[in-house]
Amino acid sequence: MAPSSVIVAPGLSSFLKSLKTTPVEPSVEHFISLLKRRQIRNSRPCAIATTALLLRVVSEFKGRDATKLVNRIRDVGKRLTAAQPREVVVGNIVRRVLGLVREVVEENQDGETNATSDVGHGQGGLAHHDSLSRPQLHSSISTFSPLRHAAAEPMDSSFHYSENMSDSGELSRRPPLLTSHTSYAPASAAPLVNSLFGLFTQPDTPSNASTPTGHQSPDRGALTALNLERLADTAKSNIDLKAEVLDGIRELQDELEQSDDLIAQNALDHIHNNEIILTHTASTSVQKFLLAAAKKRKFTILHTETCPHDHTATHGVLLTGRKGEAQATDVGETWKPLIAAGIQVYLIPDSHVFAIMSRVNKVILATHTVLANGGLVAAAGARMIAQAAKDHQTPVVVVSGVYKLSPVYPFDIDELIEYGDVGKVVPYEDGDFVEKVDVENPLYDYVPADLVDLYITNL
Amino acid sequence: MDTTPDGAAPPEAPATAAEPSSNPPPQAPADPKNVQSTEADTAPKLSPAELKKRKQAEKQAKRAQAKSSVPQTPAQQKGPLAKEGQKQQKDSKNAKADLSKPFPVRRRPSQGNTPVVKEVKVELKKDKQDRGLFFGHLYNQPRQHSMVGASKDVNPAILALGLQYSNYIICGSTARMVAMLLAFKTVIEQYHTPVGTSLARHLTAHHLNPQIDYLRSCRPLSISMGNAIRWLKDLIIKIDPDVPEDEAKRDLQENIDYFIRDRVTLADDIITSATAQKINSGDVIMTYASSSVVEKTLIRAHQKGIDFSVIVIDSKPLFEGKQLARKLANHGIRVKYLLITGAAHAIKEASKVFLGAHAMMSNGRLYSRIGTALVAMLASSNGLPVIVLCESVKFTERVALDSIVGNEAAPAEEILSEAERRALLPLKPYLHTSLLPKDDTKDTPAKGNGEVLEWVDNSDNFQMLQLLYDVTPANYINMVITEYGSLPPSSVPVVHRLSTHV
Repeated sequence: MAPSSVIVAPGLSSFLKSLKTTPVEPSVEHFISLLKRRQIRNSRPCAIATTALLLRVVSEFKGRDATKLVNRIRDVGKRLTAAQPREVVVGNIVRRVLGLVREVVEENQDGETNATSDVGHGQGGLAHHDSLSRPQLHSSISTFSPLRHAAAEPMDSSFHYSENMSDSGELSRRPPLLTSHTSYAPASAAPLVNSLFGLFTQPDTPSNASTPTGHQSPDRGALTALNLERLADTAKSNIDLKAEVLDGIRELQDELEQSDDLIAQNALDHIHNNEIILTHTASTSVQKFLLAAAKKRKFTILHTETCPHDHTATHGVLLTGRKGEAQATDVGETWKPLIAAGIQVYLIPDSHVFAIMSRVNKVILATHTVLANGGLVAAAGARMIAQAAKDHQTPVVVVSGVYKLSPVYPFDIDELIEYGDVGKVVPYEDGDFVEKVDVENPLYDYVPADLVDLYITNL
Repeated sequence: MDTTPDGAAPPEAPATAAEPSSNPPPQAPADPKNVQSTEADTAPKLSPAELKKRKQAEKQAKRAQAKSSVPQTPAQQKGPLAKEGQKQQKDSKNAKADLSKPFPVRRRPSQGNTPVVKEVKVELKKDKQDRGLFFGHLYNQPRQHSMVGASKDVNPAILALGLQYSNYIICGSTARMVAMLLAFKTVIEQYHTPVGTSLARHLTAHHLNPQIDYLRSCRPLSISMGNAIRWLKDLIIKIDPDVPEDEAKRDLQENIDYFIRDRVTLADDIITSATAQKINSGDVIMTYASSSVVEKTLIRAHQKGIDFSVIVIDSKPLFEGKQLARKLANHGIRVKYLLITGAAHAIKEASKVFLGAHAMMSNGRLYSRIGTALVAMLASSNGLPVIVLCESVKFTERVALDSIVGNEAAPAEEILSEAERRALLPLKPYLHTSLLPKDDTKDTPAKGNGEVLEWVDNSDNFQMLQLLYDVTPANYINMVITEYGSLPPSSVPVVHRLSTHV
């Protein structure tokens, strides 16, 4: 166990603090235990912590061998995802970093890759990649679980990344990308995957700002583990692999930090005056989005409580802009509450959704993760809100950072859903009741893609 | 939604009439009756101030008693209760000690666990609510939680009943109607026609109306209550002036008993037996909040030996489903309990949905506890049959298109329970300045949890909304089971006509 676990209220901030002083291996263990104990939870804190941890892993990495570095990161990633497979974001970040490493290596290879990647593009290359990169997950998740695929599938993040820095002119290169995606997602999901991952073609992400965009090999998207092996030899050249990867991770951190603000920049395009907007949970992204709109527009918010697991945070956010004392110390968690910005906020219980929906202009939902088929995993209650909105022909807008988009396909929805503390539904003092009645407290809901009208991301 | 008013018996409930339907456990009427009948006898001699005081004490005792008596098993209840009832008026402390147990009486979540005597004051609601978005009209009428300002004509039985209404001790459309009719029996019994008027004219216009007005001020009348009142007034007006007063009064009381028997007790019996047949072995029945008919149906089916399980979905503000789940579990039925946020999960396991009703509208829509529409929506999107159980006395010729125009608003501050307020207290240092008390100089830390409500009150922009009912579209409902048979929701007006013009 990490020495820093002595800290009174472990959480994201204490982890980040301890990260500076603790060696890598205990830090990994520390993070794993925090994940397991749900002391770091929800997408944003997980993403921040993972990035910080990987930054440290890479900076402590000895040697210049790219393969070893990739293996090291993948190994850490596997352990993290095994610790808490439902925090898909952890896997996403690991994949982004892996992609980063490959990209750095590849950029320094020029001509060589041209030749090798042609080979890698074929069937054999794909098969090879599968066998190489599919992770061994030691978790309760079944072998056929989508989570297993999500755990540390390194390839598609390299796609993300290479797509990320490419121009829209490269759209023609999409087909190879899709074929490799369908290797773990059924063909029916392809169009949606297409539209979702099309997001990455927008070049104006901050993480790109300093990424060189010229000089790309035409088959970059098909970078495979085959040529990775060669990297092991070639990467011993004189490039400073580590420094560049570290830079990339820092950019990733910047992106995480700025994603909410970038999303919020779109707010005015979507909210007009006197609108009545329904939202739920104490989501930072949504609150910032609404705050940005509040600078110019006057509208009304109907905020459901998300009882029983998020209502305290919701009340806190609405009244003070803080999610509660426990998280008050966490990074970047405070802002001016909406009411201070002159927005009318009505707090309603969750049961009121249908009654009130006929008067709502727009539903804005926060999400936990966005899945490969365009569906999303969001806080419990999202499903019925989205369904009620659909029945009332009210548009549903989902606000999500790109780091929440995951290649996980929801084959089995139940595996993505986490169940929480039953004591929040019926207190344990009511022992008689708890003993006889089977009380459940699902934390997340799966919302099918067809209930969502629009995604707003930071790209 | 109709649930048995647990332990809180309708005042003066005579054993014969109390037995029907949604009524208190048999031994429960015993003690309120003792307390009350003496009360009722002496009441007229007391000055209004004394009366008030007594009522207050009585109310407290009743509430405390309801709380303390309910969790006990029937076996325990028999002995001590009879004495307890009388004792409690004097030492309510004793009752307080008992309160640590969870008790299933539905009550406002904002009430603490201690029965503090609420400061008797007329609610001075800021007209903030009027600026409400589109529900300002729901706050038109201030809610009465005390007997202050009640007309002196109001019968003590009605005064007590009104308080039970406003505190949700008697809750649920059927239970409220039965309790009201029983109270009216007392009113009629104690009524004497003044010289120079006839019973038919004076009783309705001058005696019954103040009672009804008072009840309405405590909590808006339910549809079933409205139907029952209309029936009763109709009955009174038709009384032949030549009939001697005593006989007329006896007739009326008898008729009230018949009404309860026919429209509630027997109706429930028919509905439960019809619905119990719809439950097959292996079914998973989902229900929302608590309905007395649904409860009886499920218990009946269980007693028939059908193997099924139940999912109870519940929600703020009243958490009525908790009592239902508890009762069903005590009968040995497998019960799963979730809050409304988890409904989308639970619906996947369910095979049928049974819903109770507050009222059935003439356009086929169901007016019921808020959240019902969500459950019906999820069920119909999952292709599950949605079955509404509703006595025809709850049918109305009124129509409703949405849940906003006609609804009942619960006091908004109830949305934040004691525990939630406590959880918010540590956030005080971060509070936006507009929310802090204006006179910030005298900072009294002793305010405790109530302080959070002050923040809300101070805020111009932050408001809480809490409604009690919602309207479920007819297309979500597959079947309505009444004592007239099983019908589609479109047949509601027909049944209503049938039941009112027999």
